Amino acid sequence: MSVDAAAPAVSGMADERGWRWLTLAPSALLMLAFSILPIINLVALSFLNVSWSGGKANVSAAGLTHYAALPADALFVAGLQNTFVFAIFAVAGQMVLGFVLALLTSRAARGRILYRTVFILPILIPGIVIGAIWKLLYNTDFGLINQAFALIGLGPFDWLKSADTALMSIVIVDIWHWTPFCFLLFLAGLESLPQDVYEAAEIDGANWWQELWHVTLPMMLPTIVVTLAFRIIVAFKVFDEVYLLTSGGPGTSTEVVSFTIYQRFFTEDRVGHGAAMSVVVIFLVSLLLVLALSARRRTEGAR
Amino acid sequence: MPLRTKTLTSRRTVLGAGAMLPLAFGGLGVHAQAKQAPITIVINQSPWFDSFRKTVELYEKETGNKVNLDVNPFAGSLEKQRNSVRAAAGQYDVLIMNSGWFAEMYAGGFVEAISDIDPAFKLDKDVYTLGDTVYYDAAKKVMAPCGKLMSMPISPLIPLLYYRGDLYKQAGLKVPETFAELEANARKLHKPPQMYGIVQRGARGPHTVAYDFYPYLYGFGGGIFKDQASADYTVTLNNDKGLAALDYYIRMAREAGHAKTAAFDQAEVIQQMVTGHAAHIMMVIAAWSQMDDPNKSAVVDKVEFAVTPHVVGVPPGPGLGHWLGGISKIVPADRKRAAVEFFRWFQTPQAQIASAKLGAIPISAAAYNDPMSQERRFRWMKPMAESLKHAVNIYQFPEANEVIAILELGLNRAIAGEITAASSLNAMADAIEAVMAKHNYKTGKVPPLK
Repeated sequence: MSVDAAAPAVSGMADERGWRWLTLAPSALLMLAFSILPIINLVALSFLNVSWSGGKANVSAAGLTHYAALPADALFVAGLQNTFVFAIFAVAGQMVLGFVLALLTSRAARGRILYRTVFILPILIPGIVIGAIWKLLYNTDFGLINQAFALIGLGPFDWLKSADTALMSIVIVDIWHWTPFCFLLFLAGLESLPQDVYEAAEIDGANWWQELWHVTLPMMLPTIVVTLAFRIIVAFKVFDEVYLLTSGGPGTSTEVVSFTIYQRFFTEDRVGHGAAMSVVVIFLVSLLLVLALSARRRTEGAR
Repeated sequence: MPLRTKTLTSRRTVLGAGAMLPLAFGGLGVHAQAKQAPITIVINQSPWFDSFRKTVELYEKETGNKVNLDVNPFAGSLEKQRNSVRAAAGQYDVLIMNSGWFAEMYAGGFVEAISDIDPAFKLDKDVYTLGDTVYYDAAKKVMAPCGKLMSMPISPLIPLLYYRGDLYKQAGLKVPETFAELEANARKLHKPPQMYGIVQRGARGPHTVAYDFYPYLYGFGGGIFKDQASADYTVTLNNDKGLAALDYYIRMAREAGHAKTAAFDQAEVIQQMVTGHAAHIMMVIAAWSQMDDPNKSAVVDKVEFAVTPHVVGVPPGPGLGHWLGGISKIVPADRKRAAVEFFRWFQTPQAQIASAKLGAIPISAAAYNDPMSQERRFRWMKPMAESLKHAVNIYQFPEANEVIAILELGLNRAIAGEITAASSLNAMADAIEAVMAKHNYKTGKVPPLK
């Protein structure tokens, strides 16, 4: 009896599973076509040499030579180092500023919409316009920043033309550009926190600092980790600000890894070498994502 | 994305050109064949572009044929050309190729020989062949007249020395012929920040600081390779002459030039000159018209031109940064023929003289020998004609872009002070040798500098 009763149930489950796979298949195929296959193609290319003659491409196996050549590529090494420095400083600045602005806005009694609109403006501006805005601001002769310094008798400084200041100048542009992203995520997180916890803290006599340290930050930790992960990944891909403001110079002071790939792959037409670089960068970014997600899982587990 | 893409039609009038049309093209109609298929030219936004655009407008007005110009930044033009010639059907009929990549187009089989499209086509006797770079022998892989006619010179760019004639007059200076004389004059006029003795380009780019370094390197008797013409690609960049050239370049930047040379691109160098802050620049001749443009220049009629300096016993070495027009192999035959007709018109003495009057750098000796070259505003023509005799073709092989990238980084780092001139030259030589070996050229190295 029980066997007879189970048979239709098992058959129904199998049908349901089949139906699920059938409905999922188009999306899975699209995902495969547009996401996985290009990466497989890129990986394959990183093991090949491509040259042109008679209007045709000549493809030959390169083995691991493109990967082996990467440590000796001075531009790639400089690009990786600068990218790490850039990501650390830019993301740290954006996280702190974004959190402070979100905290202030969430507690503002009036004008919240106005603050929110003003604070998110930079993220709405196209990258090319941001390049133009900051190229003018940093201009040695007539830039507003140097004019401000001149009021207190300092400067003029060659912000983008000096190897000492160029990278940090780009970090500042990136902080200006992407702080609104952190601000929005933090504000959404703050506004969704349960108010009863704050009321309890207030009854217990917690001051502002204790409330921030013992209530807000622990509850915001998952949001902070996700924001950090997003920002580090995006910071690692920085290209437009460098391309528009310094082209990687002076020397290698602002060379970042995306710009190196652009030069090797597109300008020099070294597709195998550029593909190997791209694969390494994809691996590093994926590693960061895994680390961030596992950190998030740990924080959620701790809660 | 192009900076501008426009169709030029015969309805457009050319500013200032209308009056000279009957004179310039009185006998030209015999060459110009109307009713050709419209063609598209992919070109970069260089200082000489405006004069080329006006020249194309003259062609359209004269012949009734249509030409589309797809205008791009330097690197963007190269990328579009590669995409077009590697596609199943080409978008662009005429490729305006820079000295840094025309070899890639020849050797890759992307450009159709003009003489294959029209066996009757002959290069005008007055047209400069620019180190014979218009020819390519695919079997021997050399650029020599034994090969086929692959392209038409479009802009014979080489650098000249620009100097402030008024300051020279005041200080009683002699026009420099040697690097020592240039250094002495630059130091004498160096009064920063109001006046820099010389302003040089040191920024890294697609073909930026390397291009500006060539006249120094070759003017000191150095070179990148031992003998490209005989396919000997032994790297000689880091010999004593190369070191002398780079030391000089850096010394001039630090002691008689601008502190931010390592970050200066072409536009900034020109800006320093036209705003009256530079006594000398070594600049591609295409920038001449900006010197006398009252809308752009504070030094109108004050800038003079000379052949780039050299050391005693060595000829000047202006590197060719020229542009050649090639016809894509994978476009329809009627568009190829239309492109040939455009070239046939473009190379005539009348077209070249008219083009020069519109601000172009002519490719024909006919223009340099024309009475116009004696006019004050064309005072650059005499040193230009002299310089063209010494023009050096830097690259004869398709992998030039890899070598240029090595030079751009190494030179920029040395000028920025990240590494010494000697270690930079050694590192560049090692990297270039590796590139040439990878592509199976006969190569080698000289002993490293200490």
